[in-house]
Amino acid sequence: MADADKTLALPEYAVRNRAVWTISNASYTAADAHESWAKDVHWGVWQVPEDEVQLLPDVRGLDVIELGCGTAYWAAWLKKRGARRVVGVDITPAQLATAREMDAEFGLGIEFIEANAEDVPLPDSTFDLAFSEYGASIWCDPYRWIPEAARLLRPGGELIFMRNSTLQVLCSPDEGKVVERLVRQQKGMHRFDWTDDDVGPSTDFHISGSELFQLLRKTDFEVVDFRELIAPDDAVDHPYYSYVPAEWAKKWPAEEIWRARKLGL
Amino acid sequence: MPKTAARKPPAKKPTKKTAAPDYLVHNRAAWTKSNARYTGGSARESWSQEPHWGPFKVPEADLKALPEVLGLDVIELGCGTAYWAAWLKKLGAHRVVGVDITPAQLDTARELDREFGLGLELLEANAEDVPLPDATFDLAFSEYGASLWCDPYRWIPEAARLLRPGGELLFMRNSTLQILCSPDDGDLGERLVRPQKGMHRFDWTDEGKPETVFHISGSDMFQLLLKTGFDVVDFREIFAPDDAVNHPYYQWVPAKWAKRWPSDEIWRARKR
Repeated sequence: MADADKTLALPEYAVRNRAVWTISNASYTAADAHESWAKDVHWGVWQVPEDEVQLLPDVRGLDVIELGCGTAYWAAWLKKRGARRVVGVDITPAQLATAREMDAEFGLGIEFIEANAEDVPLPDSTFDLAFSEYGASIWCDPYRWIPEAARLLRPGGELIFMRNSTLQVLCSPDEGKVVERLVRQQKGMHRFDWTDDDVGPSTDFHISGSELFQLLRKTDFEVVDFRELIAPDDAVDHPYYSYVPAEWAKKWPAEEIWRARKLGL
Repeated sequence: MPKTAARKPPAKKPTKKTAAPDYLVHNRAAWTKSNARYTGGSARESWSQEPHWGPFKVPEADLKALPEVLGLDVIELGCGTAYWAAWLKKLGAHRVVGVDITPAQLDTARELDREFGLGLELLEANAEDVPLPDATFDLAFSEYGASLWCDPYRWIPEAARLLRPGGELLFMRNSTLQILCSPDDGDLGERLVRPQKGMHRFDWTDEGKPETVFHISGSDMFQLLLKTGFDVVDFREIFAPDDAVNHPYYQWVPAKWAKRWPSDEIWRARKR
């Protein structure tokens, strides 16, 4: 994949984020991938089971793309639930190498493409479901990746993604864990540049719920579901994604899920 | 509640089939006081103004959150002095009904309606239980009326009942963030002082008198709207304009706070 890697024209933030995810793959996600692939479907840092959330549509027979798939455990779960074609795209070769290894072992026949979810080398109207759990939904610019998801979807197709809650972002200091205080303003929120001693500088994106709603409407989606997830009573701090204390996430939603349907059917 | 309660002597024995909610009684007392102190005096100016939203008066001309109301049958749920009802009528609504539980507020509304000659219908009723038939309106509206003072699990199904299929529900309420940052006493701050989990009813005290408001999370609101037969078609979080100053009466939100975080939000939903 080295040649393909060089030809990817990535924005500066994607280059930095790829470095971060190369390190995270070595320190956590590669080792964790086998267990994740084997588990039942669950959402987010607190692993809330889909049986409780009940947000997914029936995916049997659907063509699905996971945008920013990482080690592609969600792609695997969607395939196991009966999706027809499942494509995972990610910018980080190390993450895709883990995903391919798992796919070889589990024999699911997922397709992987090294690509930026803001610019996917696939034709218009190719998928019935575009999905992201902390992939494109936080690491890509919503003003780029959401129109791109709209382009990839067939009319009537759905976009489902999980991201941090706006409240979590408002309570996230430049360094250290989420606090019980508003440390940044909501007005104008969009791009966040972080520093981290362990993984290096990264960039993620978050626009307010209101802005996201408007963006979805403008890109021809109707918003059909919205969930804020609160950590279960027995949740404990995540071993790797420890920036949100479990005690915080039991009182306030750290995560949210959006479900939108492309107009035109 | 009987329509003409304000004009009857107080009943000595309970005659209603179901008791009025406790919060209705003390919220009516709070709004009777507010009418005497502020809304009774500010109503004429409000009626004369162009449509605007919330304590920081963001113009509808900027927000464009309203649908076309020309020819629509409209009900304002918790209308207070009914300035929004007046604006909607002036924008071309066909029939406009305002309901409120506070006789003093309705008195002000009726006085202005006579003066402005708009022909609003004003009804003393709880927005959770409106004595009007099903499928009567094209638009159900609330700006800090039912949207704040009524239980969403009661008033939203009631709005759904009152609307015709394809009709719209449009309301402004406090942002969830504002509630999370509102201490029991004193101004809104930058600390999360209450959990979002389980949020629903809030019993406040103002000058020693109880007031009750309701606020469920955005996620719970979305689910409630879906379950009561609505599609959510718009959602706006409203910031105070750059030149906003503290409201003379609704002072619990400092303008400075509301320029950085949204203090108000607007929901628009369409009945399937």
